[in-house]
Amino acid sequence: MKKHPRKTVLPPFEGTVLLPFEGTESSRRGFLQLVGFGIAGAAISGCSRGPTRHVVPALVPAEGVVPGRPYWIATTCGGCEAGCGVLAKCRDGRPIKLEGNPQHPVSSGGLCPAGQASVLTLYDSRRFEKPLRAGAAVEWEELDPALSAALGALRSGTGRVRLLTGTTNGPSTRTAIGHFLSSFGDARHVTYDGLSCAALLDAHEAAFGRRALPRMRFELARTIVSFDADFLSTWISPVEFTRGYSRGRMLEGDTPRMSMHYQLEGRMSLTGSCADERVRVAPHEEASLLAGLCDLLEVRAGATRRLAGAIESCPRRDVVERIAESLSDSGADSLVVAGSNDVEVQLYACYANHLLGAYGRTLDLDEPSQQRLGDDRALAALRDELAAGAVDVLIVAGANPAYDLPDLDLAAAGQLIVCAEAPDETTAIADWVAPLPHALESWGDAEPRAGVLSLTQPTVPPLRAGRTLRASLARWSEDGRSERELLREHWREAVWPSAQDPGTDFDAFFDAALERGFAQTRVQSGQAWTLSADAVRPTQPSAPAADALTVVLYPKAGVLDGRHAHNPWLQELPDPVTKITWDNYACISPVTAERLDLSEGDIARLEVEGDLAPLELPVHVQRGQDDRVVAVALGYGRLGTDRFADVGPDWIGARPTVAAGGVVGVNAATLVATTAAGLRGFQARSARLTGTGRSSELASTQEHHSLEVPAHLAPPGHEVRDKDIAPRATFEQWQADPATALHGRHHVSGEDLWKEDHAGRVRWGMTIDLARCTGCSACVVGCQAENNVAVVGKDEVRRHREMSWLRIDRYFQGEGDAVSTVHQPMMCQQCDHAPCEAVCPVLATVHSSEGLNQQVYNRCVGTRYCANTCPYKVRRFNWFDYEPIDPLQAAAFNPDVTVRSRGVMEKCSFCVQRIQEAKAEAKRDGRAVRDGEIQPACQQSCPADAITFGDLNDPESRVAVRATDARGYGVLEELNVRPSVRYLSRVDHGQEEDSHDH
Amino acid sequence: MSSRNANILCVCMLLFGALVLAQTTDVRLPGNNQGYEPEQPIAFSHRLHAGELAIDCMYCHFGAQTSRHAGVPPASVCMNCHSTVTAGYDAVLAEREAANDEGRDERRIISDELRKLYDALALDDELRPVAGAEPQRIEWVRVHDLPDYVYFDHRVHVARGLACETCHGPVQSMERVRQYSDLAMGWCVQCHRDQTVVVEGHPDEHASTDCAACHY
Repeated sequence: MKKHPRKTVLPPFEGTVLLPFEGTESSRRGFLQLVGFGIAGAAISGCSRGPTRHVVPALVPAEGVVPGRPYWIATTCGGCEAGCGVLAKCRDGRPIKLEGNPQHPVSSGGLCPAGQASVLTLYDSRRFEKPLRAGAAVEWEELDPALSAALGALRSGTGRVRLLTGTTNGPSTRTAIGHFLSSFGDARHVTYDGLSCAALLDAHEAAFGRRALPRMRFELARTIVSFDADFLSTWISPVEFTRGYSRGRMLEGDTPRMSMHYQLEGRMSLTGSCADERVRVAPHEEASLLAGLCDLLEVRAGATRRLAGAIESCPRRDVVERIAESLSDSGADSLVVAGSNDVEVQLYACYANHLLGAYGRTLDLDEPSQQRLGDDRALAALRDELAAGAVDVLIVAGANPAYDLPDLDLAAAGQLIVCAEAPDETTAIADWVAPLPHALESWGDAEPRAGVLSLTQPTVPPLRAGRTLRASLARWSEDGRSERELLREHWREAVWPSAQDPGTDFDAFFDAALERGFAQTRVQSGQAWTLSADAVRPTQPSAPAADALTVVLYPKAGVLDGRHAHNPWLQELPDPVTKITWDNYACISPVTAERLDLSEGDIARLEVEGDLAPLELPVHVQRGQDDRVVAVALGYGRLGTDRFADVGPDWIGARPTVAAGGVVGVNAATLVATTAAGLRGFQARSARLTGTGRSSELASTQEHHSLEVPAHLAPPGHEVRDKDIAPRATFEQWQADPATALHGRHHVSGEDLWKEDHAGRVRWGMTIDLARCTGCSACVVGCQAENNVAVVGKDEVRRHREMSWLRIDRYFQGEGDAVSTVHQPMMCQQCDHAPCEAVCPVLATVHSSEGLNQQVYNRCVGTRYCANTCPYKVRRFNWFDYEPIDPLQAAAFNPDVTVRSRGVMEKCSFCVQRIQEAKAEAKRDGRAVRDGEIQPACQQSCPADAITFGDLNDPESRVAVRATDARGYGVLEELNVRPSVRYLSRVDHGQEEDSHDH
Repeated sequence: MSSRNANILCVCMLLFGALVLAQTTDVRLPGNNQGYEPEQPIAFSHRLHAGELAIDCMYCHFGAQTSRHAGVPPASVCMNCHSTVTAGYDAVLAEREAANDEGRDERRIISDELRKLYDALALDDELRPVAGAEPQRIEWVRVHDLPDYVYFDHRVHVARGLACETCHGPVQSMERVRQYSDLAMGWCVQCHRDQTVVVEGHPDEHASTDCAACHY
């Protein structure tokens, strides 16, 4: 690990006093010379060696581990239940970075922000060091016999045991759970998801007779209609969906295609910001809209009219007719998804897909997804049992019901046993706490989709005392096998026989699966799925009071349902749409804000129907949001986040990230309602919002580092317009002329200020395809993990001092329904004519022979001239030593990147450490670096394949080919700075418009 | 002359005096550890192993071929030989003679330095694990220590056929390892300017003198 440059300790000066000379001429110059000489003399004579440093080799090294050499271990991401495959990059026996596994059948490479950041959670010192009994630390040797005895007593009697978990799709764990529960007379497993999709599964049960979540194939869909499903950011499996979505919007190759994406939603989601046509609807209108859509589709499909006339009461008939036409044109290549947890809405979506023939094409029930298995009705039954005091032992594992489900009376259970990684709201009231390990230090498996078995294996010896649920349940059933044995045995008995390529030897099969990270089994296919249309009934339109707002509860990218609230990278990640960090807030539309006389940052009181305490939240005015909706993020107000009070530097002007005694954000999980069908409703309550007269400053990065020049300062004819920075064209325009978006841009001067003195053999460059980029922000966190980018805290963010090397600029165009968005990743453009290089007085930023704009930390004296002159505003200054909040988290630092100290400028380096590593490996093998061998962290984490990196001087390279695309342009290239990053302008099916606003 | 200037001169003279004193001893610029020859926890002799026995450098410092770091060998590498060789040849011969003379079986001789190795591995005189004893790590003193903002990569230099002695000097004649070169940036850059790199299919060029070749 690289530390701050150590300070040399100077010993006290010892010497003899000499008499001064007489009659010496003295001047300022002479004085300085003398002082300089004196300092040099002191340095030479007084300096000694720094403190002794030691090298401590392992006595017996782990096999294949060479100090300083990275290696990758294939495993499964533990960030959520999507089960993406990751390759954990390890150095010296510990993981430092997670990369997407390109071979994995679910995620196919790429990762989301939460996955990228989950490596930091491994080094969270809050994680349990020992089991707890009523809050006091005990040993496993005390916990196991006590629980075995307690459970044994229940086995012989009539005790009621309930196991409450989040989605558990690991077959070995499910087998262990089944085995454990079968030993009791009355035992049941209840699954719930913090972000429930129960209605989607329930709807399929009602329609097809089987509770299943179909696999969604966005890559095959030519028309996508999403009702409030944020599938590119937080819904079910965002990496898989983003990958598929971007494959359906391919402008390269012989048959370019661009799917048509309609998004109907109340709040402004990331997915909505990428949509071709976005329509604002209130949550209570979704059922009517879908029913109307089904009505039209019935007519077109010639099916029995079950919803005849539904279109008459449909609120946005023009829109629905347009959508129906587009869907009918695409036929089976259509996909209708809904994010609502209302069975009625989901049933209509099911029915619409059925009418289009999408089942068997874009929706696959033969290989159903198992990424969400939660059952809210079973949860409701458990709530009633608990209320009746009819549960003797409640085991909670991998879930935080005390936070997610405030109406569940956990304390009513006879004994509450909680398996969790770190202290949370549920462990606080537990009788026993059995620590769980982090996914990166445990054995396990997952089956995110039927037939895809993804393995989890340790990348580091356990840092804490955790034990998986599988092993704990076995131990409490007097089964002493180790975690690995349990897993292997299950695989030998259950997985190997049905594997697609089992081979003859189980050991070889298992080892191959471990190496790849997954195995595939044969799935029974060709089952007849018949939709029983009886389940589909006309809807009863409902409307809340005219002036009431509907509360929409949504998860934020990264923090999700609150499980990642303790991850500082994710707390400081600007929300992809609002660009706000470190908070949740009440989003309202500009019209509503005006009506309620509220403005950005005003603290408002949210009074909700029902007997609920009002919440006080800052207001965020969000363009593109429905006027009848107030959107609040879940996952905030988590217990223990007061630890972030001290994040950021300690200085006289510092304001804490968290107010004294407070936590990060406000807990909105209390607003989750129970719907008529007994499910948890995330958009069910109506509310009133009133100002309190107080306000607080939200830490938003939106206006930071703007590339705009105020109109009165720009020379006439040289105004910087958003339209030039992020140009856009429609698909039709692009087909007619691929360069449409670039017409009317400023003239790019070809004049050269310098001789072509950096015409090296290679020239590293990058292309970013804005038609693919969804703004998901995985690259931002990937960059942070790779480059040791510091977390600075809310106050420093307010002062424009966030350190991210890669930001995503978001450009809005239009108002209301017509808001269209361009997301533009922005990092150092590695200009050939870099203005920063010309102004640095100490040559701390200079050009390399390979076209890189190098930042040399040990030369930098912190004048900040370079940051002032940078037209892209991508340079970051270390105003302080931003140390990790948690000392253990320094272990997640990348040892190949210097940790910058105070007073030093830093910026994107194109991941030069990866370039150097690839070059070194190539030299060792005696070959040239291959195209595609170097992937900067942002490219590696991109699920949409929007970023390409390589040698621009090699005409065969992928980046050079993409750079010559007719859509290619350089941001602000009219300044003749010659950026090495080329953007490919956005193309979509949106409307033609002229101007962008912020 | 004002008294202020006189004071300044006085201080300067004082520092100059210190400089003169320091010149007579071992003086280096800050950060220059040339000649550093610290005592190590085990008196391992490179003269014996690399010189007399001519063991290849890469046998112990195997990391130099594949990694940034050449690395200090793990104790298990020492044990490849020292599970049989437990003392110097002279001592073994002496014991053999003594055993012959006294008409008894030859005893295993363990040198004082190797005993430290065995102690670290928690092995007894017969090289069996000692019950209840925990292995102890060996804390070697780092001799070649570059500043934290410099990334030096052994593997590239080894792949280019650079001899270890070019930077590390005549290690095969050093009883205790000493820092031979000053490892200053000027010294690195000088070599990078002089050395020519041959890459197949490309005109020859000098080793990189880009800042980012070492600093990132």
